[in-house]
Amino acid sequence: MDGAHDLGGMHGFGPVPIEADEPLFHEPWEGRVWRMLGNVMAHTTVDRFRYTIEQMPPDEYLASSYYERWLWALEHLAAEQGLLDSDARPPTVAWPSPTTPTWAGRFRAGDQVRVRNAVTDGHTRVPRYLRLHVGRVERVACAWPNPGESAATGSYGEPELVYTVAFAATDLFDAAADHTLTADLAESDLEEPWPT
Amino acid sequence: MADLTPAQRVERLERHLHEHGHLDSDDVDAAVAAVESASGDAPSTALGARVVARAWVDADFRARLLADPMNAVAEYQPQGVPIAVLEDTPSVHHVIVCTLCSCYPGGLLGNPPAWYKSFEYRSRVVREPRAVLAEFGMEVEPDVELRVHDSTAEQRYLVLPVRPPGTESWSQEQLATLVTRNSMIGTGRPRTP
Repeated sequence: MDGAHDLGGMHGFGPVPIEADEPLFHEPWEGRVWRMLGNVMAHTTVDRFRYTIEQMPPDEYLASSYYERWLWALEHLAAEQGLLDSDARPPTVAWPSPTTPTWAGRFRAGDQVRVRNAVTDGHTRVPRYLRLHVGRVERVACAWPNPGESAATGSYGEPELVYTVAFAATDLFDAAADHTLTADLAESDLEEPWPT
Repeated sequence: MADLTPAQRVERLERHLHEHGHLDSDDVDAAVAAVESASGDAPSTALGARVVARAWVDADFRARLLADPMNAVAEYQPQGVPIAVLEDTPSVHHVIVCTLCSCYPGGLLGNPPAWYKSFEYRSRVVREPRAVLAEFGMEVEPDVELRVHDSTAEQRYLVLPVRPPGTESWSQEQLATLVTRNSMIGTGRPRTP
């Protein structure tokens, strides 16, 4: 979904707020949110957690601190799972196993690929700043269940190949940029480049 | 709801979860205390520093860490997600970010610092990394290739920084004291002797 969370490349934010010797939690309630998240995460996917945060109204998202956003998602997921008004415990969702993929995919290291512009109001891990851009496959990163499906269903499906793809910042942002950007993108989010 | 402070909302949530048998508040207290005093093999900057220092002195481990990071890191701490190690050299420097949320190698380094999760870092480091690194007091020479890695999938990244010069006779334990959290994210360099 096109949300306020998709911040990569946005202008207008100021200096990075670097804090010396920062505590792990700035307020006691932050630590409790961190721990309580485990209670709801046991019954859903990390993707549904992220997708829940993404559904915060944009003005609220940008006005909230990190753990306030977690708290918002925690409240919504706990309600969704019935934990606030029922003793019934939903089924546990098992975390996928991070195995190394052994099968060959559609793309190989060195291939040029275009990032698909497949945007719905569902969850995606394709940042806006990469859509429709052409990059170069560096390697297979891992195999993992599709995040959009995991967010929609609250359970993990079959793993899909994920590729590390490199992009020239000069294509993404401006001609003066001289760095390289990489992102890890699911096979279903990539296609062959269009003929030029 | 809008009138409640975050602390009041957390209290209310905790009370509901407790009333229905989904939460033991003593467990919350214990878990927060444990993570705030992480040591030994628990994920922390110190654990990451031990891995980096070993890679600096042990060529076999370094090769394994780069070729098969999942299993090499698991010698210290099993990882629930795939992990990749980015090797800095005098001519290549790596930086990690998660523009969409806050993905971080937490299974090795513990919870991320607040700046890593900030809107400022997430929006800017992909677009103007040299300017952002300058705010951390770090200059990357123009002839050094800068690679910024957006953690958009479940794979997590650890930067393996360059061993500081002048440490040839240092032990692994001494070297670990030079490895900073930011040097494993790419927003800093290891301390120098």
